[in-house]
Amino acid sequence: MNDLEYDEVRRQRLLGFLFFLISDCVIFGDFIFSYLYLRNAAPVWPPVGIERPYLYLAAVNSVVLFGSGATMHFAMEAFRHSNRRHFVGLLLATIVLGSMFLGGQAYEYTHLHDTWAGSTFGASFFTLTGMHGFHVFIGVIFLITVLIQTLRGTYTPHRYFGLTAATLYWHFVDVIWVALFFLFYIY
Amino acid sequence: MLEHIPDTLRMIALFGAIIVAAGALLGLRSEWRKNELEDQVTKIMMVLLTIGCVFVILVALHVWGQS
Repeated sequence: MNDLEYDEVRRQRLLGFLFFLISDCVIFGDFIFSYLYLRNAAPVWPPVGIERPYLYLAAVNSVVLFGSGATMHFAMEAFRHSNRRHFVGLLLATIVLGSMFLGGQAYEYTHLHDTWAGSTFGASFFTLTGMHGFHVFIGVIFLITVLIQTLRGTYTPHRYFGLTAATLYWHFVDVIWVALFFLFYIY
Repeated sequence: MLEHIPDTLRMIALFGAIIVAAGALLGLRSEWRKNELEDQVTKIMMVLLTIGCVFVILVALHVWGQS
């Protein structure tokens, strides 16, 4: 495939991937609206006897995830500038931070005084954060895959769509967390 | 739980969020003149990431949140 053909294929793949992310946004949007509906229908929120999850642990966990978004961005920049050593280091940092976020979420789940079936708050919280956590888990696998592919020489500084997709996906999970952090811990 | 070290967690969150926000703004600056579709998406993501950091900073400074 020559460069001109590759550019066209790349554009189509990018558009397809962005449509996938938009459809994922719609799914999260559905659950967020159902959460807001339940919240507004309740006389008190969270329901009586239910504690909100611990805010400062979530704040630290959020910083860990947002930090992974920044490292992923700079990893991509390093790859574009053919700086392989920085790229591998930053991508590894992203993978570690993503895994730390999942660990923090697992810790939070095991210490919460609510369950999925315990209340409307618990149902919404576990559904939305669980679905997001699953996306992060898939993202970590995605990043490990592109790291292995890069080390094997699959991508070049001119042909690297897999890396672009991984970066966009990782930014997407970051941005979804901004909304969930606001909804469950602040609002 | 970690409730017995709220100030430590708050400080980690505060300084972490400031560093990450600075990183996101630097990333936004480096993307600013690029015009490809993925660059435009990245710009939006960097802005939202910065907003997320601002949320964490406000929480750490007791402006927002109930803990």
